[in-house]
Amino acid sequence: MQDRPTAAELLGTLAELLEGDVMQAVPGPLQHQVRVAANLCRILEREAELGAAHEANEVELLARVLGVDPEGRDARTLSRELVERLHAGHDAELERAAWPALVEIVRGKLAITKPGHDAYDFADELDS
Amino acid sequence: MNPIEATEKGLAAFLSREWETEVAVENARLASAGARRRNLLFDARRGSDTLALVATIIPTAAVQVMEIEVEASLLQLAESAGMPVPHVHAVCGDPAFVGGPFFVTGQLDGETIPRRVLRLIESEPGLGERLAQQCGDALARLHAVDASRAHAKLGRPVDAEPAEHALRTLEPQLAGLLQPSPAFTLGFRWLERNRPPAPPRTVVVHGDFRNGNLIVGPEGLRGALDWEVSHVSDPMEDLGWLCQRMWRFRNDHLEVGGFGSRADLRAGYEAAGGRWSHASFHWWKTFGTLRWGIGLAGQAAAHLGGAFRSIVMAASGRRVAELEYDTLMLLRRALGD
Repeated sequence: MQDRPTAAELLGTLAELLEGDVMQAVPGPLQHQVRVAANLCRILEREAELGAAHEANEVELLARVLGVDPEGRDARTLSRELVERLHAGHDAELERAAWPALVEIVRGKLAITKPGHDAYDFADELDS
Repeated sequence: MNPIEATEKGLAAFLSREWETEVAVENARLASAGARRRNLLFDARRGSDTLALVATIIPTAAVQVMEIEVEASLLQLAESAGMPVPHVHAVCGDPAFVGGPFFVTGQLDGETIPRRVLRLIESEPGLGERLAQQCGDALARLHAVDASRAHAKLGRPVDAEPAEHALRTLEPQLAGLLQPSPAFTLGFRWLERNRPPAPPRTVVVHGDFRNGNLIVGPEGLRGALDWEVSHVSDPMEDLGWLCQRMWRFRNDHLEVGGFGSRADLRAGYEAAGGRWSHASFHWWKTFGTLRWGIGLAGQAAAHLGGAFRSIVMAASGRRVAELEYDTLMLLRRALGD
């Protein structure tokens, strides 16, 4: 085990440095890049905390959609299998099972990359 | 001589030749400098007249998406149709004057940066509704133009309907993703099975008409910029693109650029003679979301592959999930709840 601070704590500290003193010190054209860098630190901070649980859930969900045993599988392989199955031909049942699973998986990614993005659900703009 | 002075000198030489009179160029300053184009504001003095102008300069031919003559001809075509655009004063394909091909247009004052546009709208009651209607009006005017009048080099889908052509263009990009995306695959398959009916006629579309490429003043729309991805397509492509969530800048409930409602956009479009098709609109909107998401993944790939190292491009990879979510939500009636 590494000593404290944890990866998440260090990434949060890096973000604070970039958002504060560094942002103040750099010239205008660089500020956008520094802002992006600070945001990436925040993303990695959340990933260090939530990433493992998210990926385990992703494997569970994908395996259930595909009807396979999740044991020993990883998200990348299962994603590729699902992509291949979706391309193999129209399978309405597979698509109906995939949709809610993919929504949950993507929400898990957003909790790390952009919390709050999924607060909007498009409900008012689907009709003519 | 610094680069700005050298450019002033080149512009003066070109405009003097073009207008067959002595032209002095002063007060040049960069308004924006992207990788693919620079916009330089300047004053041109001939006799007692001073014109406030903009030179749009393509730094090198290697990054040119559309030939400068073609882009300028589109601005002229749009202006002749009554769409608000900057007026083209001169076009120069010769890179000798300022280091790359360029065109010169009149300056239009106003806001272009999305957050500033939205701030202006908040401060002017009724402006958001009016701007949405004006966007509809402007696009209807453009779409009314006979596409055969457009420059011969403008991109035209020759062997397929616009929707089919768009899907075939996107397909290899989807297949080439560094990471498999079941969400985008699900979206793509739905788009394939639900292609909209062919439009009554194909038209010149702007291709990137959205908050960020509009010049806006307190009275509304003053001009549409950046015509380099214009092509011939289904008119609903422009309307669906304008209503993408990523152009709303957190004002998610206002479908048109974060400032207006679709009802206002549609009213403006139909009042100016445009024909609205909801099925086509929804299809193109979903297609645009998917295409943007795949484009973001492509930016990350360009960074990782070394073609364009940039922290902004790297960060794009972590924005892909936003577009996956938006794609899935746009399909919730069809595939979800």
